[in-house]
Amino acid sequence: MRKAIVVLALVGIGVMLIYAVGEMPPMGDSGNPDKVHIAPRYLEHGEEEAGASNVITAVILNYRGYDTMGEVAVIFCALCAVVAILNREKPGLSRTSMDVSGVKASVVVRTTIRFLVPVIIFFAVYIILHGESTPGGGFQGGAIIGASIILFTLAFGLPESTRKLPLRFRIPLESFAVIAFLAAGFTGIVFGVHFLTYLMPGLSEYAAETIRHIMMMVIEIGIGFAGGIIFTSIMFAMIREDQCELQPDSP
Amino acid sequence: MGSVAKDVLTVIFGLTGVLFFIGGTVGLLRCPDLYSRLHPATKCDTVGSCSITIALALQIGLDIALFKIMVVILLLLVTSASSGHAIGRSAFKTGVMPWHKKGVVPWPLKGEDRWTGR
Repeated sequence: MRKAIVVLALVGIGVMLIYAVGEMPPMGDSGNPDKVHIAPRYLEHGEEEAGASNVITAVILNYRGYDTMGEVAVIFCALCAVVAILNREKPGLSRTSMDVSGVKASVVVRTTIRFLVPVIIFFAVYIILHGESTPGGGFQGGAIIGASIILFTLAFGLPESTRKLPLRFRIPLESFAVIAFLAAGFTGIVFGVHFLTYLMPGLSEYAAETIRHIMMMVIEIGIGFAGGIIFTSIMFAMIREDQCELQPDSP
Repeated sequence: MGSVAKDVLTVIFGLTGVLFFIGGTVGLLRCPDLYSRLHPATKCDTVGSCSITIALALQIGLDIALFKIMVVILLLLVTSASSGHAIGRSAFKTGVMPWHKKGVVPWPLKGEDRWTGR
């Protein structure tokens, strides 16, 4: 009986959805509302309205700021879930994947990585800070930071990595993106306008623009560094989980 | 340096790069095992890309882009050579056998443990 009800409900919903698909405008048609109204508006007024010459940053941080805030919260929740299930890393137990395969990273690899990691992090910071005007931004820069730390961990092992990035340093940074976003959002409420409004009323144009600039910068930096550190923490937790299943020193 | 000499050098460097890329691709497709494939693959990245970027640098002349190209060349040289080294070394250490004819024992013949590296 319950199965019959479930099947009937699913069929009903399916019929409604298929009917709704028939009502939708044709895919890729140049007369669709998003092509007529939204995209030209973003392209023409993005810079003055959203305060970022890179239209993608304007869309991510301003037009769709709520969406981005949700994404940041989702990444943070992913870390919370991983930590809740796998627990934090325990460097004493861990061996990196290279140790497991029986091959330690050679001197050449370690020297190259020691030379490359600062360059990669420098590039990531450039991408984070320059996301407003050129392609890039917090998410991309954060991914690069995470990748560079993963590279370092593969070559030098988890104990060395966790000594360089201890837990007491990572825990405050992990929530930094959400906190930065909320702080920027509530600034608008303090000034008496909507949540996540960047242009504050009652100020001179120059002051308002400067404050908007600073708020976007803080959010980008928050997303970048918090994202990178969250990827790192997830990887640290997963390394230990991987290695616990392997028998030590078995060929 | 006249512009004709610059163009000639550009063509020479560009053609060298293209030649190395063709060789690298053919080698990657035709060579029998990991070690011999690694050889043309890394040549492509180092000599091929570096020659092409040098040709680009010659055409750009003195500019801020020249500095960026130098950084690109440096990164290409360092990363592709060392990643090739890492792949080859870990393959050797984990016991990937090199290609050999049936019945012919390949070069280091000190028994199986030579290939496991443990």
